[in-house]
Amino acid sequence: MMPPTTLARRAAPVLACIGLLALWQVAALALKNDSFPTAIEAIRAIPSILGDKEALINIIASLRRMAIGFGVAVFVSIPLGLMMGRSRAVAAFFNPLLMVIYPVPKAALMPIIMLWLGVGDITKTLVIFLGVSLPVIYHSFEGAKAVEEKMLWSGAAMGLSAAQRMVWIVLPASLPEILTGCRTGLVLALITMITSEMIARQSGAGNILFNALDMGQYDTVFAMIIIVGAMGIGLDALFERVRAKLVRWSEPQFDIPLSFS
Amino acid sequence: MAEPVATRKPASSIIEIEHVSQIFQTSARKDHQALSDISLTIEEGAFVSILGPSGCGKSTLLYIVGGFVSPTGGAAKMKGKTIAGPGPDRGPVFQEFALFPWKTVLGNVTYGPRQQGMSASEADAQSRALIEMVGLKGYESFYPKELSGGMKQRVALARTLAYHPEVLLMDEPFGALDAHTRTRLQNDLLNIWERDRKTVLFVTHSVDEAVFLSDKVVMMSKSPGRIRQVIDIDLPRPRRRNELLLDPRYQKYVVDIERMFDESDEVGSRS
Ligand SMILES: Nc1ncnc2c1ncn2[C@@H]1O[C@H](COP(=O)(O)OP(=O)(O)O)[C@@H](O)[C@H]1O
Ligand SMILES: [Mg+2]
Repeated sequence: MMPPTTLARRAAPVLACIGLLALWQVAALALKNDSFPTAIEAIRAIPSILGDKEALINIIASLRRMAIGFGVAVFVSIPLGLMMGRSRAVAAFFNPLLMVIYPVPKAALMPIIMLWLGVGDITKTLVIFLGVSLPVIYHSFEGAKAVEEKMLWSGAAMGLSAAQRMVWIVLPASLPEILTGCRTGLVLALITMITSEMIARQSGAGNILFNALDMGQYDTVFAMIIIVGAMGIGLDALFERVRAKLVRWSEPQFDIPLSFS
Repeated sequence: MAEPVATRKPASSIIEIEHVSQIFQTSARKDHQALSDISLTIEEGAFVSILGPSGCGKSTLLYIVGGFVSPTGGAAKMKGKTIAGPGPDRGPVFQEFALFPWKTVLGNVTYGPRQQGMSASEADAQSRALIEMVGLKGYESFYPKELSGGMKQRVALARTLAYHPEVLLMDEPFGALDAHTRTRLQNDLLNIWERDRKTVLFVTHSVDEAVFLSDKVVMMSKSPGRIRQVIDIDLPRPRRRNELLLDPRYQKYVVDIERMFDESDEVGSRS
């Protein structure tokens, strides 16, 4: 049996979604505007999008770019962030570069990248990569910096080399912080994915959305917003499950009544 | 051929600290001398305590022997070889426990032996026996966050004993524990130690603790950290706390050392 608090926690997001949709429905009915379909109209348009082969190919292409951009970013950013957190020289080298890149909206770089690399997959994937990298680097850096020195000393006394300590101590010790960065990165990947397709209109979920907008198919526009939103919520929830499992050991625990005697 | 006459040290010395000094660069661009010309020989199998007021450089000295910090002057040697870095022959136990929080109790204890190339099954069996020895049987699959401070320090001790260091380096290991837990751990440490008589270098600022545990107490004074006096604790072993507390010889050691301790504290605070 699920305790009532767990039940409430699980039900809360669902209730929030239903509430939002209901609010939308009422607002759309009240405004009676052509460019603002009701929630029910938008939801009705979803099956025809997901049933359309062309649209499906577009959405899958988007997801593929997002997965590659996110994957490569995580793969590169975690080691970089960890090394920056443990080595003053590495941090001093990369910090100025990151400080410059950090506040620039990654989508604003798109025109330049498009000029160099064209409007294809590479450009869009690169923008996603850039969007994901910074939070992951930052959180990996913070995580590695906070690793207790005595823990590393204990490892060194057991015979772990500097490289081994990085992999077997710094990495797991920083994992809670790293995964926090990855979670932010995942949402940013979705955002930069849509933005990039909005700028380089050629394929993808963002492209369907803005084409529909151009043609005045507002129910499709809103249906796409729902689809993209659901993808974001789904991915985030999935990631959160994996994260919680991986760092169970670090979550504070208040209810274990143990004392040694 | 004649034996070299110069080797006057007892053959059983395991650690030699020779004219070690340590100067830290502080942020105020002023150098801070934490240790000044420390020389000390530790014999194999001895339980030696380093006793001194807070800030006199006890931890620094222990870190130098551990190889975690290299001294700015002099050298520390282990079995005649200059200590250049950490190694499994010297096992640290820190006040902060420094357990691996992502590993269970068993995972923490097997870590060292596995790293040293012991087979999984052997490391497992040996670690379970050690966990039982430190009184934590039944807690093998617990994570550190699920343990009390005293239990964590027991795990830390087992984790270090597991890779069989020749010397145990303990830096105020019971300093973060409440008085009751502290007493229990002192007793248990002594019981464990009296079984295999590993060399122990034990940092503390508690006079009782130093006298109760040690063969030798090295008293340090502050600013800069120096050795003030080395006192042999000539009390019979195995030691039992309830007997010892009533022993006038024990009481005299405690009173004498406490008096010196107070004086050295005053010397330290004058600067
Ligand atoms: N890494 C460091 N940098 C600068 N000063 C230090 C450093 N480590 C220790 N010290 C200073 O050296 C002195 C001795 O420190 P420590 O060995 O920790 O003393 P104890 O363990 O006896 O309390 C203190 O004054 C402390 O502030
Ligand atoms: Mg200290």
